[in-house]
Order: sequence, then structure tokens, then C-alpha cells
Amino acid sequence: MEALAQSIEGGAIYTWVTSEFWLWPLMEILHFIGLSLLLGGLIVIDLRMMGFFRGIDIRATHALLPWVLIGFALNLVTGILFFFGDPLRYAGHTGFQLKMVLIVVAGLNALWYSWKIHPKMHEWDADANPPALAKVIGSISLIVWTGVLLLGRLIPYVSTG
Amino acid sequence: MEMLYWIEETAVALWVGESLWAYPFLLSLHVVGLAVIVGVVVMLDLRLLGFFKGLQVESFLPLMKFAWVGFVINAVSGLLLFTSQASYFVTNVAFLLKISLIFAGAVITGILQNKIRNPKGANSRALAVISLVAWIGAIVNGRLIAYL
Repeated sequence: MEALAQSIEGGAIYTWVTSEFWLWPLMEILHFIGLSLLLGGLIVIDLRMMGFFRGIDIRATHALLPWVLIGFALNLVTGILFFFGDPLRYAGHTGFQLKMVLIVVAGLNALWYSWKIHPKMHEWDADANPPALAKVIGSISLIVWTGVLLLGRLIPYVSTG
Repeated sequence: MEMLYWIEETAVALWVGESLWAYPFLLSLHVVGLAVIVGVVVMLDLRLLGFFKGLQVESFLPLMKFAWVGFVINAVSGLLLFTSQASYFVTNVAFLLKISLIFAGAVITGILQNKIRNPKGANSRALAVISLVAWIGAIVNGRLIAYL
């Protein structure tokens, strides 16, 4: 990890990210807009999948997924640039490492959704009470992403590494 | 100004400013509340602008109650964060803009909710755009507080 971090600090991206004073705040702003899109869409999709807000047509909620993915893509790109801009601080940081683990868990959970839930959703009624598995997957998604947000915000304040 | 210095000396302000965990804990809460209020309102605005038409606009109404919980979380955590550096925050242009934009965003979101409750065929697109600008603007200025 340390060696990787050090090799990044010699690279072109590191030089670019750290040389423009406006770039870091701009990336932070985009990262916050991205997390709002990601969480905003998932709140609708996951709470409905957990069985709340039955007035919302559950089959229509997946139309929000592209916005969730736009938010994720925005945060993946800005997140990678953050890492390249300050690799030594992030690489050894427990809060950052935990955040990355949670994002992987969220990704696996999303795969579980697309494997088990998504193909069957069109058969459900608009006001369906989703099966237990959908409720579990929706709950995991919201809990894990909330954890990602909490850990992300703690990174600048907790130094462990 | 006198009052702001007084605020900074209250027990709450000293706890926020001096406790090892209070400030980062409140900031973490603040980002979750932000995602809830701005996230859900942005989805409503996008719907009003014509995206994902399969979702009924009215079905957003119960969700908005949930969104306002995020707003309350941020009003409380924001107020507590404010106490620790009250006299600094009121001189920060980004902070003042952020508060103004949140105020505008909240009012417009309230108006939009009322329009959805009593639809008279009125077009809400312009208001949805203003709402988007206000809430995203609040995020932009919130981030800039640390840089100005």
C-alpha cells in the first residue's frame, strides 16, 4: 500500500490534482452532489422495497436507477481523484478502508438485487408487499450506504495510520 | 456581535468545539441529513421536469414527510455546529449564501408540495428548476465555507 501510494505521488494525476487550487473544492462539491443523487434515488427504491410507501408503484421505482448510477459514477471518478491527490493519507486510513469495504458490500448487495429481485419485479402488483428477500436487500442497501456517508465524513477528522 | 460571542461561551458551544467527537459526529449526521432532504427533493424536482413519468407525482407526498426529517436533522446539527464558531460563520459569505439558499429551497419545496396536493393544471417546471438551483447551490456554498 505504502509503495503504491508513493508511486502515485510521483505521477501526473497527483501533480495535476494538487497543483490547481480550485480543483479540490470543485471535486468535493461534485462528490456531495453525487452522494445526494445516489442516496436520494436509493431512499425511494429501498424504502419501497422494504414495504413502506405502498402508494408508490414499486415497478416504476427502478426508473430511478440511472440517477443512482450517475451519482455513483460521479463519486467514483471524484473519489479516485481524491485518492490520487493525497494517497498517503487515504491508503493507511482505517476510516477510508472501512468505507471501501462497505462500498464493496453495497456492490455485492446490488448484484444480489439484480440477480434475485430485478427479473421478478415486473410480475408484482403496483402496491405489492415485497417478499422478505427484497426487504432484506433494501435494508442492507440503506444501512450500508448510510455507513459509507458517516465514515466518509469522518475521514478528515480521524487519523489512524 | 456581543450575542454571538456569548453563544460561543455557552456550555453547548464549548462541548461542540472542545469535545474530540462532537464536531465530527455532528458533521457526519449533517451529511446524512443532507442526503435525505436534498436527495429526495432532487428526485421530486426531476420527476416534475418530466423524468421517470411512471412514478405518480402524488406518490412523492408521503416521501416528502421523510425528506423533512432530514431537514430537521440538519437544522439541529447545523445549529449546534454554528454555536462553536458563531462569530466566524456570520462573517463568511459562503455561509450566509448557504443559509439564504436553504431558506429559499425550503419555501419553494413547501410551495411545490402544496401545488401537488391541489393540482390545478399549473405548470411546476419553473419552480422545480428554482428548487434544484437553490438546494444544489446550498451544497456548493456549504462546501465553500471551508475555503473562503
